[in-house]
Amino acid sequence: MLRIGQSSSRDCQQWSRRELLQAGMLSAVGIGLPDLLRLEAAERSETAAPAKSVILLWLWGGPSHLDSFDMKPNAPVQYRGPYAPIASSVPGLDVCELLPQIARRAHRYSILRTLRAASNDHGIAGTIGLTGDIAGAASLSGQVLPGTLKPAHGSIVSKVLGFSPTMPRFLTLGGHLHQGKRAIRGEGGAGLGALHDPFRLDYDPEKGIQIPDLELIDGLSPSGIDSRQGLLASVNQLARQLDRSADVARLDQYYEQAFSLLTKPGARDVFDVHREPESVRRKFGRFRFGQCCLLARRLVESGARFVQVNWSSHVEPIEDGGDGGWDMHDRHFQQYQDRHAWMLDQALSALLDDLQERGRLEDTMVVAVGEFGRTPKINNKAGRDHWEHCYSGLVAGGGLRSGHVIGTSDRFAEHPVTRAFSSADLFATVLGQMGITTTALTTNGLLPQGSVIEELL
Amino acid sequence: MCAQIHQIPFRRLTGLLLLFFAVPILARGADEELIRVTDDGLFKQRPHWSPDGQQMVFARHRGNTIFLFLRDMQTGKEERLTPQIHPEYDAVFSPDGKDVLFAYDKASPNQGDVEVYRMSLADRKPMPLATTQGGLSHEESPCWSPDGKQFAFSSTRHGNQEIYVADIAGGEWRRITEEAGTDAHPAWSPDGKTIAFATDRWGDLEIALIAPDGSNLRRLTESRGMDDYPAWSPDGRQIAYTSKRDGNDEIYIQPLSGPARNATRDPGIDNFPTWTTDGRLGFVSNRDGGFEIYLMTSVRRGSPDPAETPDRRSPPR
Repeated sequence: MLRIGQSSSRDCQQWSRRELLQAGMLSAVGIGLPDLLRLEAAERSETAAPAKSVILLWLWGGPSHLDSFDMKPNAPVQYRGPYAPIASSVPGLDVCELLPQIARRAHRYSILRTLRAASNDHGIAGTIGLTGDIAGAASLSGQVLPGTLKPAHGSIVSKVLGFSPTMPRFLTLGGHLHQGKRAIRGEGGAGLGALHDPFRLDYDPEKGIQIPDLELIDGLSPSGIDSRQGLLASVNQLARQLDRSADVARLDQYYEQAFSLLTKPGARDVFDVHREPESVRRKFGRFRFGQCCLLARRLVESGARFVQVNWSSHVEPIEDGGDGGWDMHDRHFQQYQDRHAWMLDQALSALLDDLQERGRLEDTMVVAVGEFGRTPKINNKAGRDHWEHCYSGLVAGGGLRSGHVIGTSDRFAEHPVTRAFSSADLFATVLGQMGITTTALTTNGLLPQGSVIEELL
Repeated sequence: MCAQIHQIPFRRLTGLLLLFFAVPILARGADEELIRVTDDGLFKQRPHWSPDGQQMVFARHRGNTIFLFLRDMQTGKEERLTPQIHPEYDAVFSPDGKDVLFAYDKASPNQGDVEVYRMSLADRKPMPLATTQGGLSHEESPCWSPDGKQFAFSSTRHGNQEIYVADIAGGEWRRITEEAGTDAHPAWSPDGKTIAFATDRWGDLEIALIAPDGSNLRRLTESRGMDDYPAWSPDGRQIAYTSKRDGNDEIYIQPLSGPARNATRDPGIDNFPTWTTDGRLGFVSNRDGGFEIYLMTSVRRGSPDPAETPDRRSPPR
């Protein structure tokens, strides 16, 4: 049992890890008894899958496919927009002129041009994009769709691969996703439990790395523990239950695995992008998304298996009260040209280069995609609206085929003329490359979704 | 990027102080030097110098804000231009240096509503100048006529983005472009006879010239790649603009008749050109890592480099 309040002379470092974690972290990370009792043994045999990790660049708000990877230069001016395509390093794969660095690296990725979502509501399409399923999604109006919310793709990775001794499997760089003031559903473990929610951190260009969970434990002083009488009671009750359980050994192992990152001296260094050479930091760009891409690379090198980098928390750009999202209904070209394009161009290119130079692109997949695309026809506010019928995504690394365009859209990029792919298809392919096959999913009680995109293999 | 129309001599003292308070001087050759004016790395947009060269306005992005700042070029001190809480950008000094026009983005519940505001630098009270009632449209990118009596700007009032002219004193807007494509970023020539702007009516963005009454439309650039943000030189003989013709953002300078030349030649992003009244070229660049405002002194004239008109179909360098 814990001895909180019985030893005032002990400082935080003298508490045993288990005591600290029981006292401070159980509630902090939202782990309940049902989650703990579902813990699996940590020792898992990792498959010989081609890919170990995936970095999902979540372009929240919906980038325009016509102004990036599916340009229609021969369409009327009301559709094509003001930018020209440029040739890439792959003959026949033209890219928007605002993405010149990405164009030079086309041999390292493939473009899916016929992605399709089942909704043009950010909230619903966001849930589809992150979980592969519409069930349990919440619309802008707050209506929750029927069905049980599925776990995020990262949570599935966390569940199937199990805990790492030093690094959470699933991390999200960025805050909780919103449209307006409404939070998006499907960012975490859902039915798998909070245990498989992402470990969250972020980068602020002026404040540096932000790690809310570590800030909690840093603030956990003995006096702070003393004041948590309610927590103490519940923890002691939980511990008594666990002491009678055959899962105690596994629970200890869980503590060892899940939180050694938080308690071992030096373990947090992985979060510190300032340890990278200045030249590397500069290559990624001194803006939030660029440094988050660098941090994502550090994380996968340290054992993370699914790192989601949120472009923004809100779909809306700054001009619409958001934090720089891709939902540019108005002044689309002004904002895309002035900021979004070069940020994506620099950060994604640096990430591909860096992984390649470090020999990690072979076993690390990079996926850059939003929840949908934008209307091919330009609206009356120099913007583009939501378009779920056809949009593009970029996929690189991890043994996936590169230098190819997969799928063809019609003359205005309004609809696919070849097979349309869903987010479920995309992530069935991604997870499959990580050895998370239908068998692995069903063994873990998960329902397989989507079909592998054979053209990517 | 219009407005340096009054040919007020740029004070020598100001120039010396500018050199003192700016960050390093970077040699670029016998006839050009590059001065880094700011040093915080944050993204910045559209710097503009006052006619006497002693002040500069620009938009700075910090966190989720876009605010205008006024920089004293002698002391290096900066202050917010306005006390407003919503995004503001695209500020330009009036020809007499007493007022500014800027775009103010009143964030509505769902989408911004951008309007042109005028503000006296004496009382700092922003006043709406170009607004639209009863609908969401965007009025932005203002620039002054050289006599200070009119201004040009872009608006989506009639469905797609066009260029308009209106009197500073108020009254009807005069639409001077009418084309299905996007027209943006007007810049009024020092002699008052021409407005340069960016348009995609011929394909990708090109620089066009038009008379303030909407007549005499002609094309200045015909490059393989985007040309945008035109800015007239103080003598009215050249136009600087951002171009992607060589694969990344560079500032090109082009005489009204004759080929353009690449003035920046850097693998980083060079954007938002502007001129001081004594003929120095200002712009924003990330050549040193973060985005800073630079001044290029003694901008030379000359022939273009052979490699300045690459084929768009070639892989970008």
